[in-house]
Amino acid sequence: MLMPKRVKYRKQHRGRMKGTETRGVTLDFGDYGLQALEPCWMTSRQLEAARRAVVRFVKRGGKLWIRVFPDHSVTIKGAETRMGGGKGAPDHWVAVVKPGRIIFEIGGVKEETAREAMRLASHKLSIRTQFISRLEAQA
Amino acid sequence: MEEILLTAQPRAVIGKQVGALRRAGTIPVVLYGKQLAQPLALQIEERTLQKVVAQAGHNRLITLTIAAGAPRLVLTREVQRNPISRHLVHVDFQEVSMTEKITTPVPLVLVGTSPAVTRGEGLLIHGIDTVQIRVLPGDLIPQIEVDVSGLENLNQSLFVKNLVVNDKIEVLTPGDEMVAKVVPVKEEVITTEAPIAAAEVEVIKKGKIEEEGAGGETPAAGGEAKKEEKK
Repeated sequence: MLMPKRVKYRKQHRGRMKGTETRGVTLDFGDYGLQALEPCWMTSRQLEAARRAVVRFVKRGGKLWIRVFPDHSVTIKGAETRMGGGKGAPDHWVAVVKPGRIIFEIGGVKEETAREAMRLASHKLSIRTQFISRLEAQA
Repeated sequence: MEEILLTAQPRAVIGKQVGALRRAGTIPVVLYGKQLAQPLALQIEERTLQKVVAQAGHNRLITLTIAAGAPRLVLTREVQRNPISRHLVHVDFQEVSMTEKITTPVPLVLVGTSPAVTRGEGLLIHGIDTVQIRVLPGDLIPQIEVDVSGLENLNQSLFVKNLVVNDKIEVLTPGDEMVAKVVPVKEEVITTEAPIAAAEVEVIKKGKIEEEGAGGETPAAGGEAKKEEKK
């Protein structure tokens, strides 16, 4: 699963996810992609599950690019713990995704294959997404 | 090549108020150029502009008429779009002089099929999809075709220096930029790996650089060291 190799601080503030994404909104590597339509914290498990769904479907051929990285740590307080006593322990990693962000890009496959692969990937994510292609983006 | 015509109206609304214009189906545009003392704020009906931008791209001349003025030859510069809906938000036009060279991006179109891809050994990956060229407006070309049928072996690449363009066009993009490459097809074996706990990520500490030179720590060891420190 994707996660940072080393970090400066183990725990982070939650931050905000206001507005739409301004960076990472265009297809830069592949011919087709999956774009987020809602904000979310996308966990490394979700990303890995989506990646596996794509790889399993495409089998041989095709190249996949993951355009987000889960570099935000999420902490969880232990079960049946009273409030206070400081911040909980780091539990998992998430990528902060805002509407417009390209999550996956795929190249070297036909449009129907890419469309189906992205559909399967989208079912592993917790947000609404849309399929985009390089040709449509230029028009 | 047929002439692309566009008519614009002068725009009095500027700043954040242009949101109302967009809601009414009109897109704010701006025209600038050496021939103009001041940039002109203009507005164009969205559907017309959408068609013209799609047809002209960044490298076809547009004949722009402002109200009842004389027609001007312009090029599309920056096109701003909503990242989700892809609707136009704002368009920049630049007036050009037919005697003065301009710099503009030209799309690269891959044509043909690489034999390595046909054999099923490789996968064609494209690098950059536009190159910057310097040319007289009269010599502008809509696209540069790149023949990839010469890519016979795996890991063979085409670079900007390999592009075939006529003498009137000066390519400004560095010659070592990759245009297309054939990479080997890899079949990934999906294996189940044990999930790593978030706490096991190494934390960068002060004076870490010297330690790294001596071999560094493993992520797990780093995490444990931090835990002990806390206690």
